[in-house]
Amino acid sequence: MPATMTTAAAADTSASEKPPSGADHSERVKAGTALFRKSVRQILVDRCLSCHGGDSLEGEFNLATREALLKGGEKGPAIIPGKAGESRLYRMITHAEKPPMPYDEEKMADDEIAAIAKWIDLEAPYDKPLVEGGVELKDWTERTIENDAKDFWAFRPLNSAQAPEFDHDDWSQTDIDRFVLRALQNKAIKPNDVADRRVLIRRTYFGVIGMPPEPADLQRLMSDQSPDWYEHMIDELLDSRHFGERWARHWLDVARFAESHGFEQDYNRDFAYHYRDFVIKAFNMDMPYDQFVKWQLAGDEIAPDDPLALMATGFLGAGVFPTQLTENEFEPARYDELDDMVSTMGTAMLGLTIGCARCHDHKYDPIPAADYYRIVSTFGQTIRSNIEVELNSAETKQAIAKWETDHKPIADQLREFEERELGSRFDAWVASDALDELTSSQNPEWLVLHVANAKSAGGATLSVQPDESILATGTNPDFDSYTFTADTYLRDIRSLRLEALAHESMVKGGPGRASNGNMGLGTITVTAEPLSGESKPIAVKLTNPRATFEQNNGNLSIAASIDSSKNTGWAVDPQFGKDHAAAFDFAEPVEFAGGTRLIVTLSFNVNNKHNIGRARLSISNKANSPALDAESQPQAVAELLDLIASGEIPKNGPRRVQLMSWYRTRDPEWQKLSAAVAEHNQLKPKPNLATVMVSSEGVKPIKHNADGRGFPHFYKETFFLKRGDSTQKLRTANPGFLQVLTSADDIDQRWNVAPPDGWHTSYRRRALANWMTDADGGAGHLLARVIVNRLWQHHMGRGIVSTPNDFGKQGELPSHPELLDWLAQQLIDANWRLKPIHRLILTSSAYQQSSAYDDRRSTIDPENRWLWRREPRRLEAEVIRDAMLAVSNQLDRTQFGPGTLDPSQKRRSIYFMVKRSQLIPMMQVFDSPEPLASVGNRPSTTIASQALMFMNSPQVREYAGGLAARIRSAGQSDIVDQAYLSGISRKPTHVERASAEAFLKTQSTSYQSDGRSVDDSDRLALTDLCQTVFSLNEFVFVD
Amino acid sequence: MLQHSWLHRRDLLRRAGSGAGLLGLTTLLQSEGLLRPAGAADASNPLAPKDGHFDGRVKRVIWLFINGGPSHVDTWDYKPELEKSDGKELEGFDRFTGFFANSVGPLMKSPFKFQQHGECGKWVSEIFPNLSQHVDKMAFIHSGHTESNNHSPALFMMNTGVPRMGNPCVGSWVTYGLGSESRNLPAFVVMSDPKGRGLPKGYSLNWGAGFLPSVYQGTWLKPQGDPIDNLKPPADLNKSRQRAQLDLLASLNRQHLQQHAAERDLAARVESFELAYRMQVAAPEALDVTREPDHIQQQYGIGDEKCDHFAKQCLIARRMVERGVRFVQIYSGGMENQRSWDGHNDIAGNHRGFAGETDKPIAGLLADLDQRGLLNDTLVVWGGEFGRLPVAQKAAKPGRDHNPHAFTYWMAGGGIKGGTSYGATDEVGHKAVDDRVSVNDLHATILHLLGVNHEQLTYRHNGRDYRLTDLAGNVIEKILA
Repeated sequence: MPATMTTAAAADTSASEKPPSGADHSERVKAGTALFRKSVRQILVDRCLSCHGGDSLEGEFNLATREALLKGGEKGPAIIPGKAGESRLYRMITHAEKPPMPYDEEKMADDEIAAIAKWIDLEAPYDKPLVEGGVELKDWTERTIENDAKDFWAFRPLNSAQAPEFDHDDWSQTDIDRFVLRALQNKAIKPNDVADRRVLIRRTYFGVIGMPPEPADLQRLMSDQSPDWYEHMIDELLDSRHFGERWARHWLDVARFAESHGFEQDYNRDFAYHYRDFVIKAFNMDMPYDQFVKWQLAGDEIAPDDPLALMATGFLGAGVFPTQLTENEFEPARYDELDDMVSTMGTAMLGLTIGCARCHDHKYDPIPAADYYRIVSTFGQTIRSNIEVELNSAETKQAIAKWETDHKPIADQLREFEERELGSRFDAWVASDALDELTSSQNPEWLVLHVANAKSAGGATLSVQPDESILATGTNPDFDSYTFTADTYLRDIRSLRLEALAHESMVKGGPGRASNGNMGLGTITVTAEPLSGESKPIAVKLTNPRATFEQNNGNLSIAASIDSSKNTGWAVDPQFGKDHAAAFDFAEPVEFAGGTRLIVTLSFNVNNKHNIGRARLSISNKANSPALDAESQPQAVAELLDLIASGEIPKNGPRRVQLMSWYRTRDPEWQKLSAAVAEHNQLKPKPNLATVMVSSEGVKPIKHNADGRGFPHFYKETFFLKRGDSTQKLRTANPGFLQVLTSADDIDQRWNVAPPDGWHTSYRRRALANWMTDADGGAGHLLARVIVNRLWQHHMGRGIVSTPNDFGKQGELPSHPELLDWLAQQLIDANWRLKPIHRLILTSSAYQQSSAYDDRRSTIDPENRWLWRREPRRLEAEVIRDAMLAVSNQLDRTQFGPGTLDPSQKRRSIYFMVKRSQLIPMMQVFDSPEPLASVGNRPSTTIASQALMFMNSPQVREYAGGLAARIRSAGQSDIVDQAYLSGISRKPTHVERASAEAFLKTQSTSYQSDGRSVDDSDRLALTDLCQTVFSLNEFVFVD
Repeated sequence: MLQHSWLHRRDLLRRAGSGAGLLGLTTLLQSEGLLRPAGAADASNPLAPKDGHFDGRVKRVIWLFINGGPSHVDTWDYKPELEKSDGKELEGFDRFTGFFANSVGPLMKSPFKFQQHGECGKWVSEIFPNLSQHVDKMAFIHSGHTESNNHSPALFMMNTGVPRMGNPCVGSWVTYGLGSESRNLPAFVVMSDPKGRGLPKGYSLNWGAGFLPSVYQGTWLKPQGDPIDNLKPPADLNKSRQRAQLDLLASLNRQHLQQHAAERDLAARVESFELAYRMQVAAPEALDVTREPDHIQQQYGIGDEKCDHFAKQCLIARRMVERGVRFVQIYSGGMENQRSWDGHNDIAGNHRGFAGETDKPIAGLLADLDQRGLLNDTLVVWGGEFGRLPVAQKAAKPGRDHNPHAFTYWMAGGGIKGGTSYGATDEVGHKAVDDRVSVNDLHATILHLLGVNHEQLTYRHNGRDYRLTDLAGNVIEKILA
């Protein structure tokens, strides 16, 4: 309140101007000291000291001594001696000024406030400081926690208590039940018996795979006579590929998973879905939970060759991030991002609200802000990146190894032929008259270059063809550029010809690779250098451009290919499917004694994908600027003829190699062997590459709108921040662990691992992951408690700790602490595999109870905290939709891969893309959470828009139509029974059947009165009934 | 009594315990308006109306969100000194204040003429010829300031009290706290630009429920197609056939309910279908402005090409609040630059255009609410996510860049002292200096007018009790009647 601020400021001034004095003063001080001794001292010690001078210095305010009290905190002096009413301390304890003190605690009693007021009016004297010997407060960045802080149930080691034993117990089937039974006995209530088989089947199907039993499965299970039919069913369901889809959704809530950045543009993260697939696969394969956790924190460091481990790191990067930042926001936004990682890790994995220690020590749990910043620094250099990942690296490696074994003899044959036979065959060929055929041209003006090396900057595949042209295939990047290298012994080189040739592989035959067959040669440059390496390369200046055809005589002419603009140049629309040629003269003739290397670069910046598809280069030493279509001869032939003329065919050396490389293509034996190699090359296994969003270090960040402003994406150092404010840096924070969850004293050997030389990450997260999963010296025991509690929660309806994301002091205490610890120990003993824990819970009587209600027991335990019955539960959004799809026989069971926002898609709901600004209405209306922060517990609301969805949604109507069609196509007459069995796994009662049949009749009659055929009317009436079945309470609530 | 019985039903029942306690529960449910003749089914209805902490001055809010950042010095915050200093440098100006650090120009006077209006003699820009007739109903807050110079964080700040994503917006908090008085309409309705200029930066997250249950999120009336999902029955189901279907459903569900008498959620769900059936009729009716007489439509500017779209939205807003909708938000303008009030270029053309779209409709809304007596218990709020700088943003036609240090809001309606001006910016309108008002203060004031103590409306999420106003917020007492 501004008015208050003014008054307080004025009062401060007056206080400093008028110090109290006089005899009256000393009397008052005496009385004040007495009052201080009598009560005020104790009040201050009890209610104020721990935050203001005892353990910490909130607001930089210390009241341990009078001097410090007068100095005050960051808001200024705390008291004005003699003027309680104007003193900040008094105003805060009376809640006249904010924040109200004692902070987050009960207001002081009136008599306590009165005593303090009197004491201030009496000049607020101390007899001695509140703390003996004065206080020496440690810098908060070095704060250590008290030992007794670890003595809270969640932080203690696991309790090893075993299940109790009973003399008479015909209810318990497992140890779980014995723990539960004891708690119930303490309240003198009995649990319900095991539910009907039909109920159990439906409950377990929904709980484990999130879909109802198919009528055939139901029938099979209902008639299964074996005593362990239930265990078999559980095994079958836990082995179902749909199990992972059901349980991954629970984890995705906790992981605040989404596939867009949020904030201003909410750009998609197109490759984030791999994380969702990782979670599904991990649950399906029963990946040990400690590994599951480790990989999410540091999969890139622990198993960098395993694509799943890389996908797992999507956990860290799943949070929101602004995509439009100004300079002042760079660093705060980065700290927010790090906070998101740490907070989510804390709540998801440890059930601890670590994020609450960002601005100050945690108010309730022993997590100093110092610990927070140490963990933050662990992630300091971790950023999101889209990387190419080999999905089947192991398989591919294996396959390539096998291929290489097969390939060796084939390649060897060719090599041996070249080494042993090719030379003599060449000499024989030269001696024969075969050469004459090749010299038909008497006076070739162009020498066609043999390009020894062709490179595409954009990744296109360039291959030299028998006619010396270079064909581009494969990737066609937007703006490619080719570099051709050819060696020649021609002297006095004066012209260059570039042919752009048609080819069937291009649209309309090319010669360009654009979608219409066009090309656009932005620039052509030629460099010449001596093969001897004895002088410097020369940039050849091109003149006299000419071409067979030009799209225009301006920006798309051949002249434009050698002008200063990269974006203009030779194009040939509409002359597609034809060979084109262009030529240039060299401003100065080029020649090097001992041979010349020509490097010709073609750049295609005129238009997207307008790259030449098939090019060929020729040179000429004629002085007359030879015509474009003048006679040509392959370079090799010409050079060979020169050599023959000079009578010297070299027996070795580079010229021999060059000659042989030309000759061999004409040798039938070489052709045969070479073709065999080429054919086998085609069979080489290709890596299965996918782009995956990961979180890692030393990787290329995802493009950001503020890159142009210099957004750094991360900072090399992480700092302890005063009040969480990135403009108030204290000193560098180095990685560490939560003290309260660290009992080992050999931290370095135990958790820290040095990265291998040259590795691109720091291994900080790997150390954190080791600590996190260490049940003996680190956080593993709490990690285990939190996850078994989540499993219990989803199976039983509420967690043993009913605040699954908060195991701290603000959370609820466990209802069955020994059972929780027992389950956690079972998990660790099972090598952290989760399916055994599922099995333990599912086979308990506690899980299998009926939902029968009982007034007496409800009076004793209205919340069912002690588990005397099963509470019916409404299915979650995803399961409601999946169930309708499954029942209507329309479910597309395809797993994995990119999701969609299309509400009419038919895959399971987990495959909807999660775009933060376009959440799927059908999911939201049934309480699926906004993916902004970790959610451990969804609410279950009942609102009219849910009813509207069942009544009017085109999708529900379509599903109803699907079920109707399914029933009709089965051709059975008991269609009402079939609708019930499919929808709610039971037959209707007589009354229900009668109502439904009457309804079918009425509806059909009504449709017929609209002029519809009887058959069509019956179909629609049945559709109406099926829609009603979907809308039944029994469909969405499971007993 | 701000108990949320559907959330804490079990706690209540536990506390209620035996027979005597159950009586207490019944009383409680009645006091919350939760108990309906059909039984206590509404206990699970999270939108059931609830009383505030004290008697509020208003029951509902219409927030005209002037999206993109309206320039206070060109609208309501008249600065003669800025006119005198036109063309001079603003000394000590931090060029990183706005979004474009490299286009900072000198001080620039408003391109608009200002005149005094009303009994209070308020100086108002010429771009509001109609709204200026209502200044005696408005309380102006000239000293607003916020925490970001960037649209989306500033929008989140204004809507959720935090310049980051993830928190519930004001409308969500209000419906969480007070429920809805309308059983047939959504509790919290949002309308966005229907002229294809996009949604505000951050999209639907501006009316998201954050960590509150999603039932409290704003219902966005889609500008194209059906405004609300699932209001129209499938083509095959005419009225009588759907009625027959619902009758069958009710009878089957009731039979099931007999075996599950203790499960309140099931009973509530049976009720919800009847409610939904009524909504099918009520919602389209509320959205149909053609049911209004011509003179009312004209009063809002319907039929006037320039402002027809916003006029319809304002009239829908009135029809909504009249029917008990708790919170309505209308966005003027779409996304950034010329698509909203974000006048980086040509501030004159930009603001003249958007003022022209909204001036008559909002004036019509105020007059209409007033003549119906609805203004006595409705709060109308006008403002955007930040203000604009007094210095020019260089361009062929100069504009103004974002200004987080100063903006103007006005409120009108129940509990508001009309004709007052509170707080002030410096001479040129660069920064709020007197009686500075934070966004938390604005929120605290809105909640206060609704009868909600902003410090007591909390929600526990991941170990912390969250508030709309975080740890801050003071009610602006001086604008209250």
